[in-house]
Amino acid sequence: MSEIIFELKEVFYSYLSRFPALCGIDLQIRKGEKIAVIGANGTGKSTLLQLLDGLIFPDKGVIKAFGVELSEKAFEDEAFSLDFRKKVGFVFQNPEVQLFCPSVKEDIIFGPLQLGVSPELIKTRLAAIAAELDISELLERAPHHLSIGEKRKVAIASVLAIEPEVIILDEPTAGLDPLTSRHIIDIILRANKAGKTIIISTHDLHIVEEIADKVYVFSHEKKIVKCGAPAEILADVPLLQSNNLVHIHAHQHNNMIHTHQHGSLGHHPED
Amino acid sequence: MPNNNFIERSILETLSFFRESVFADEYAARDGFLQRRNARQKTIASLLLLTGVLFARNLYLLSAIYIFVLGLAVLSRINLWFFLKRTWIFIPLFSLFIALPALFSFFSPGEPVLILPIGQIKLVMTKPGLMAAGFFVARVVTSVSITVLLALTTRHNELLKGLRVLRVPQMFVMILGMCYRYIYLFAEVVENTYLAIKSRVGGHVRQRAGRKIVAWSIASLWQRSYALNTQVYNAMLSRGYRGEPKVLEEESK
Repeated sequence: MSEIIFELKEVFYSYLSRFPALCGIDLQIRKGEKIAVIGANGTGKSTLLQLLDGLIFPDKGVIKAFGVELSEKAFEDEAFSLDFRKKVGFVFQNPEVQLFCPSVKEDIIFGPLQLGVSPELIKTRLAAIAAELDISELLERAPHHLSIGEKRKVAIASVLAIEPEVIILDEPTAGLDPLTSRHIIDIILRANKAGKTIIISTHDLHIVEEIADKVYVFSHEKKIVKCGAPAEILADVPLLQSNNLVHIHAHQHNNMIHTHQHGSLGHHPED
Repeated sequence: MPNNNFIERSILETLSFFRESVFADEYAARDGFLQRRNARQKTIASLLLLTGVLFARNLYLLSAIYIFVLGLAVLSRINLWFFLKRTWIFIPLFSLFIALPALFSFFSPGEPVLILPIGQIKLVMTKPGLMAAGFFVARVVTSVSITVLLALTTRHNELLKGLRVLRVPQMFVMILGMCYRYIYLFAEVVENTYLAIKSRVGGHVRQRAGRKIVAWSIASLWQRSYALNTQVYNAMLSRGYRGEPKVLEEESK
């Protein structure tokens, strides 16, 4: 069994101490795993990812990363903070949030610069990532001039430049056209092949089987209702239906209207 | 048909101003005289010219500098009419209203040029007043022209690098860059909000209702910018930011 990277025990989190966002989460993430967190809107997926990135801290319960409990106090220690930020990268759902520099190039090198990577190494990484993601042409451009797909690629590049061990992605394919979505999935899979641990939140069930080897399903009660292999989760239609992840779809074939589940289950799962 | 909707006019004209003069990289991308020059050289030259304007005691010298700046604009393939519009739009705001009192005898006594009777009071415009106001306006218009010319012919990230050369604190340069970045995003939000309102209430809005809509939009924009501010800060923390921005040395040379 590989080393445990994240361990959450009975984690509770609420916004403004009034609005519960997570209610008793237990999970373990091991090195090199591909984890998908699925659930309808407002089930606490993004909150969980922010907890994993040490941006917010639990009201109750314990969250450990690399064996150390994550807390505000722990991040006051510069050595720990730098080490954690080097190891864990977070791609935000909204790339506008992540791309705050005047140019794409400055956005990509922002992380390594803050983390004390040498200028020579930064240049090497920048060139390699720009070539890999096919964004060399974009480097001198302003982020607000990019398309949504290009922004997502640059946001991922800005995290890859840190060379983290863990990459957390919040709905990386949301709102993308199929081809760009494919490119993003390929980038994620390559990163995993290179040994990186991947944690993704999504409601795009079509990609789950490919991007995950373990799936956590979040319910409206802000809890994990099931954890398992993608095939097992995707086969549990009642579970997916009760959590707003598939719906009944009606359409017409040769003048006959029929209905079936619409989600990850292929066009006609009953066939 | 004239457009009488004050909300539509204000929003669309403000957005168009931002797009044309602040975010247009179009002029900076042209192959002109100033575009071929290094951002650092241009920043230093602009500062020298601005210092010259500040210390000029002669209207002829000021006029010469202004004509020189207009010449540079033409050589840099900037449409002169566009340039004049973009520079003179600031003049009433920054100088005319301030200079107005200086025209009259109670601030600048001297030889009368024009007497304006307003009821029982006579406003006397004097020659020294006219000279002082003219000098002030000329100084402002020349300074604004130099600054606008620098901004139009230099990509904004190059301009920020130019500021670093002048040892402007990195924190200030970073905040300036982020302001520029997010003003664009919020301009889009304002435009979309306006279109959403228009699609529901139509083009005609009464003044009173219009003021309410504008007030509501300002509040909503503030709320969004506050939320974005927290998220952007988190995105910075997530990539190792600890309160002191670091830049590549070569970027600041």
